Amino acid sequence: MSGRSGVWAVCRFEAAKLLAQWPTRILPLVCILGPLAFGAVLRIQSAVPQDTLFGGWVHTSGYAIPLVILSFAGAWVFPVIAGIGGGDMFAAEDRLGTWKTLLTRSSRRSEIFAGKVATACAYVVGMVALLGAASILAGVLATGTQPLVGLSGQMIGSGRALELTAASWGVSLLPALGFAALALLISAVTRSSAAGMLGPLVVALVFQLLSLVGSGEVVRALLLSTALDAWHGMFVAPAFDRPILWAAVVSLASALVFLAPAWLSLRNRDIAGTAPDERRWRRQIRVVVVATAAVALLAVASNWGPTGITEARLERSIVRSFRNLTVLQQRYLGRRVTAGAGSQMRILPSCLRQGVSTPRKGPGDDWLCTLDVFTASLAQVTVDYDVTVKANGCYTAEGPPAFIGPLTIRDRHGRPHVNPLFRFDGCFDAGP
Amino acid sequence: MRLDRRTTRSAPPAGRYRWPAIGVTLDSASPASSAPALSASGLCKRFGTVAAIAGVDLQVDAGEVRGLLGPNGAGKTTLLRMLLGLVRPDEGRIELFGQLFGPGVAPGSRRVVGFVEEPRFYPYLSARRTLELLGELDGAGGKRRVGELLGLVGLTKAAGQRVGSYSTGMRQRLGIAASLLASPRALLLDEPTSGLDPAGAREMRGVVRRLADEGVAVLLSSHDMDEVADVCDSVTILASGRVVWHGTIERLRAEAPAPEHRLETSDDAKARELGSASTALEVREDARGGLVVTAERDALDAFVLALAAEGVAVRRLDEIVSSFESMFLTLIEGAAG
Repeated sequence: MSGRSGVWAVCRFEAAKLLAQWPTRILPLVCILGPLAFGAVLRIQSAVPQDTLFGGWVHTSGYAIPLVILSFAGAWVFPVIAGIGGGDMFAAEDRLGTWKTLLTRSSRRSEIFAGKVATACAYVVGMVALLGAASILAGVLATGTQPLVGLSGQMIGSGRALELTAASWGVSLLPALGFAALALLISAVTRSSAAGMLGPLVVALVFQLLSLVGSGEVVRALLLSTALDAWHGMFVAPAFDRPILWAAVVSLASALVFLAPAWLSLRNRDIAGTAPDERRWRRQIRVVVVATAAVALLAVASNWGPTGITEARLERSIVRSFRNLTVLQQRYLGRRVTAGAGSQMRILPSCLRQGVSTPRKGPGDDWLCTLDVFTASLAQVTVDYDVTVKANGCYTAEGPPAFIGPLTIRDRHGRPHVNPLFRFDGCFDAGP
Repeated sequence: MRLDRRTTRSAPPAGRYRWPAIGVTLDSASPASSAPALSASGLCKRFGTVAAIAGVDLQVDAGEVRGLLGPNGAGKTTLLRMLLGLVRPDEGRIELFGQLFGPGVAPGSRRVVGFVEEPRFYPYLSARRTLELLGELDGAGGKRRVGELLGLVGLTKAAGQRVGSYSTGMRQRLGIAASLLASPRALLLDEPTSGLDPAGAREMRGVVRRLADEGVAVLLSSHDMDEVADVCDSVTILASGRVVWHGTIERLRAEAPAPEHRLETSDDAKARELGSASTALEVREDARGGLVVTAERDALDAFVLALAAEGVAVRRLDEIVSSFESMFLTLIEGAAG
């Protein structure tokens, strides 16, 4: 008989265990059927999920649907997948009392740890990939493969949109793996399956709240939830990739920060039978106290550092979007638009926050952008947009119908279109 | 290693569970050197303020079956956990086949396997799948013997059932199969016959003996004195985390006091009078009625014959404390005192 079996053998062992349990067997089905059901619902109703990036375009391009799903899934589904894939990985051995079965075989603790981590990560990657593929399929089936309107109002060709959509899901794998590492940490430290499986979702909620309460860039930049927004830059013209690189750094660093104590916990622990309830509770309380202290510290620090949301960045972005979307609107209306027509428009923007002490920076729903538009054929037109800017650099601009027309417009064939200028989303790089 | 064609010290009789008489083939278990299979010195382990193990020395040689005895809380299971790498000693040194054993070493890689307390498995896997996976974990060789080992422990028919539906005894059998899967050179078993019916327990003891005859070192903890006397070559007795006695079974027998018997006769007063006349036995009244006779077998036989000759009928004669139990209790009480 050979000596040590290695990490690969542990991976096979853990994979067989994962695939023999009903939650991990059902999740692939949910990842396939969920997006298809969402696509089917969108197909039979005219309303659109406007509160989400690309939500306004779900009836215009099939590629908007996987991006809407990604926006939602990144925040809420990825932590659930991580919890199911990694949250029970260590705790199950405590729950079933099987550490003594596993640790007395031919694999060292380091190999068992590495095998468990690799299996959980592979499962999470598989589920996210499945969810992404099913989402793209759902979008194509529900709406089609039309070109997509980007986050600067630019048209993205069908092939390129598919590439970017797939790449967005790929980029989002990085923070998903960070959440998997978090689930593994909770599982190893609390030794509780429930905590391991639900913990990542609770932490994701806390991350979302932290990114809302503070305007500082320091804490926000360190949160895994921020890394989930990294793909936005790919849909902006010109694209920016700094958030993707930063997301990779944050995700990797988070994974290391989460996995190091998980490993130390396994390496140093004695498998000495079932701990008394009192000792188990003491451990759980200790974990909750440490987690609460960490959250409090992050909350206090959430205003540290400069904000990346500035008047100049918003103005540059909103002008670019308005210019591109005006061209699109004119095309919808059947008017002849020459190449470069957008660039012939002269737009003078002025964006300020209303009723705050720092009117030129920071996230909030109180931005007002006034665009003075000059064209060759029109006299000066002034358009006001109420703008909600999020800390991640994405914003929603809503204009009054008097200036920009109704929500739905019809082309010369009578087909309805979403008025691209009525309400539009955009993003800019909110980094330092 | 072949387990067949060997004379075992206590060959199991045919019972409800049939351990195969021939055909169990394991890898060679020849010891690598003259070093003991398992050697521990100065082992200490504290849990909080409690000293679970306090300076234990232990040695098990290849081919030896050593019994580990002690009352509840004596530290038997903790000691086995340390030898299996589940619990780190605070002090002391463990060597497996002459090589230091410590963090970073998997006991299975030295072919030292076993289980502590009740063997535990994954309830959603079948017994066959469990053994296949554990075999893969141990290396290429183990998986091939899954069917053979399932037959050995009498689980062939239940091999496809989920382990979650198994009884305690079936899990015990699976635990034994899982241990044998690794072709052990040293086997550490914590009350291996617990949960088995008498026939299964006897067959289990037979397997342990046969493995030892093939050179496998066995350390076996038990509460059953008869089991230890039947299967073990030597004994280590623990009390309060310390070794209070160790030696061979023969030495234990030699040092053990006479067993105690409960005697009921047609005339207890006369029986007591007859007993007091002999220096080879001691007769006293039992608080629950009848008499307690402390005597070796020969003296007891003579006493019974003398009672018959005097017209005293023996209505009941039971061994209530065996020699080993008596020795065990004496040692434990001494350690506690």
